[in-house]
Amino acid sequence: MSATPTIAFDATRCDGCGECMSACASAKSTDGSSAQSRIRIVRDEESGSWGIAQCRQCGDPRCASVCPAAALAKGDDGIVAWDAERCVNCLICTAGCTFGGIAFSPAEGHVVKCDQCSDQHAGAPQCVSACARGALRYVTAANVYNRWGELEDLFVPGLGGCQGCNTELIMRHTLRRVGPNTVLATPPGCIPGMGSVGYNGMLGCKVPVFHPLLTNTASMLTGIRRQHKRKGRNVTALALAGDGGAGDVGFQSLSGAAERGEQILFVCVDNEGYMNTGAQRSGSTTYGAWTATTPIGDSARGKAQDAKNLPLLMMWHGCEYVATASTAFMEDFYAKLEAALEASERGFAYLHLYSPCTSGWRFPSASNIEVARTAVETNFAVLWEYRREQGLTLSRDIDDPLPVTDYLKLLGKFRHLDAAQIAHIERHVAEQAQVLRELAAMQPCEGRQVVGRQSDLMAVDLDQ
Amino acid sequence: MNEVAEMTAPVAEPASGRNAPACDAAVTRKEPKVLVCDGNEAAAWGVVLSRPDMVAVYPITPQSSLAEYVAQFVADGVLDAELVEAEGEHSVLSVLHGAALAGARTYTASCGQGLAFMFEPYFRTPNLRLPIVMSIVNRDGITPQCVWGGQQDAMTVREVGWVQLFCETVQEVLDTIVMAYRIAEDRSVMLPVNVNHDGNYLSNGIVRIELPDQAEVDDFLGTPDVNWHAALDPDRPMGVDPLTGGATGPGPALFVGYRRGHCEGMQNALRVIVEVHEEWARRFGRRYAPLVEEYRLDGADHALVTIGSMAGAAKDAVDAARERGERVGLIRIKTLRPFPVDAMVAALDKVQAVGVVDRAVSYGWNSGPVHQETLAALQYCRHRIPCLSLIGGLAGADLTQAHFERAIAETAKLFDGPCPRTPVWLNAEDR
Repeated sequence: MSATPTIAFDATRCDGCGECMSACASAKSTDGSSAQSRIRIVRDEESGSWGIAQCRQCGDPRCASVCPAAALAKGDDGIVAWDAERCVNCLICTAGCTFGGIAFSPAEGHVVKCDQCSDQHAGAPQCVSACARGALRYVTAANVYNRWGELEDLFVPGLGGCQGCNTELIMRHTLRRVGPNTVLATPPGCIPGMGSVGYNGMLGCKVPVFHPLLTNTASMLTGIRRQHKRKGRNVTALALAGDGGAGDVGFQSLSGAAERGEQILFVCVDNEGYMNTGAQRSGSTTYGAWTATTPIGDSARGKAQDAKNLPLLMMWHGCEYVATASTAFMEDFYAKLEAALEASERGFAYLHLYSPCTSGWRFPSASNIEVARTAVETNFAVLWEYRREQGLTLSRDIDDPLPVTDYLKLLGKFRHLDAAQIAHIERHVAEQAQVLRELAAMQPCEGRQVVGRQSDLMAVDLDQ
Repeated sequence: MNEVAEMTAPVAEPASGRNAPACDAAVTRKEPKVLVCDGNEAAAWGVVLSRPDMVAVYPITPQSSLAEYVAQFVADGVLDAELVEAEGEHSVLSVLHGAALAGARTYTASCGQGLAFMFEPYFRTPNLRLPIVMSIVNRDGITPQCVWGGQQDAMTVREVGWVQLFCETVQEVLDTIVMAYRIAEDRSVMLPVNVNHDGNYLSNGIVRIELPDQAEVDDFLGTPDVNWHAALDPDRPMGVDPLTGGATGPGPALFVGYRRGHCEGMQNALRVIVEVHEEWARRFGRRYAPLVEEYRLDGADHALVTIGSMAGAAKDAVDAARERGERVGLIRIKTLRPFPVDAMVAALDKVQAVGVVDRAVSYGWNSGPVHQETLAALQYCRHRIPCLSLIGGLAGADLTQAHFERAIAETAKLFDGPCPRTPVWLNAEDR
């Protein structure tokens, strides 16, 4: 079964303005009145927040299963379609749907439901375009999942990661895209710890894979890439490294290879510490965070220093490509992986992925993607990309973030924070966002087009 | 830098005398190119002749001019190799790990602190069985601060599992670098080789040398045979160096298999080193003692044991002593790792006392490292003979003929009394 695009709703961003209903009505109804909208926003009087009544385009739609006339059916495009020729106006479907996604329209004289504007505005549902607050998003990542799903999974099944860790997601999806003509380096850490290189004579992947030292990943890949190139072969030199192997003890070799412009795709999976060895502090650990080596006691309250901004340090090396990405925004990650892979044939490409650690950061294993998304939406982890010729670009709006505390309160490692520590982190997050804002706004300068621009994350279309 | 073409001149007469290696007269070969250069340039020519695919370098005194020569040769098109100017010695060797696993013949050079910094990948190199050739332009260790010659660097890493060869002359440096590839890439060996040449004495000492013909060297070396056992190549996908199992599953046997295989490769190297030196003598006319050189041991009752370039001055001292009627000879170790036990025992069995001169310190035994090696070899000798430790030439200190005459005298004293348990520090009074 293929996945399909969907309209996602974020209650925290909805202020009940109703613009979505107006837009829908003018696109889909005969009289243009909001009463005819196929999306309705509904206020929950108890919580005061807003919800929506709209077709979810369910995988196994109840409306269709209860329809006695087979007038409703899920199509190959994922949309549950209504067939006027077959409908007998019994309205049983409106009782079958628990989301308020199909309703009788007095003006039309039959049931109506959302079709994601697949007729006149395919690919651009009008309600989403009208939502100024970003509470509605048209999520098309499913297109990419489908395409990636057809590529070979080059990791063996059953890797031994912690429950809920997003690293396996990163590993499988990255290697599917990069493909078999690859040599993969996984320096000591969670990634080989999950068995990617193998254990006791067993093998972990279907591409050539090895343990570099924790310190020399980019250097070993330098030799591998250059030797194959010398023999006329275009072999992708790929690293999947943790933040310690990239930014702490491994930073010298990383910096050297980036400075030399080696043709390497280096992916840093940043879980902000030495999580494979029991959650010790790294240079990437947040200020105030508990780790096994920055414990909480009478005279210490977690890490005493801010994290270094490794992706920005890499940008200043003048790499071909540098970007940050998150597994909560897979479509953005895919687009950046694509760009990084292409850039790695010309020079150094660096991709920094935020990887919430269920065990080391102390949060429930089901919450990984939620934590990752909240990190981005609070500006704790800003998504951006840098291209040598274009400068730095923000991948999504950072001017209206959620409060940083929304992120901090999700994680046990921040449970002990006092008001001053929280204020410190808030200030740091704001400063980092401002630095990125200013870098993105830089104007072209002598002989080099450094242009800041802001793209709509959701407008990225890999098919183009 | 010397242009070879301009330096090509007929050789007036065959090299002869004590410091020239013995020639095989029957060999017919092309008129050799001749140049006048120091040991670092000679090493660089050895690299050119060996045609590595990849060279990674990082400068360090007294190796720097060697790195510069190689870089210039690449820039001039004399050497067709990928040159990686890495950001440190740690990366230098790491680049070569990757390159070798991708099939490259590789070379680098370092010493002293550079070797210390390189230690992490250095330790791993022989365990991966990568036939990398690396010069060590021997330098003493800091602290105290020094940039001068000494062998503390190579001696400190002698248990890491590299093949370690020590050269006496500039010509031997060039020849041994080429031979090192044959030894390293031999399928029964598959180990990295350090070609040691003393910093200052050999790195900067300028002499006349002969340059072997490229086509003959090509024929001698054959094509690189580097990653048949372990490769990082999408055409032969495999996991390189997966985690072993500790005490579980096949873990212990796996690990022992690696270690035992490594030891066997080292022992095979003893045979291969001899064979390769023999073939070199046949093809190129220069013969070196591959493992242990015996110098004037016939009729000797005591001997000095030396390693590296100091043998030159030591042989002068032995010659002088012989003229005075003293029955002294010299044993020079060329191959320190694998330790040539049989060759060493054969030499030691010819004398009744030895004085071992080290250019490094073994702190744990209050003597020199080669002294310790000699003591161990004595276990297999017919008789227990006294074995004195002498330490000199640290941090560039001169080891002159006078120092070795004293060393001979101190060794001769072993016939008159007990062997001291403390070393003789040869430069202790030098100002």
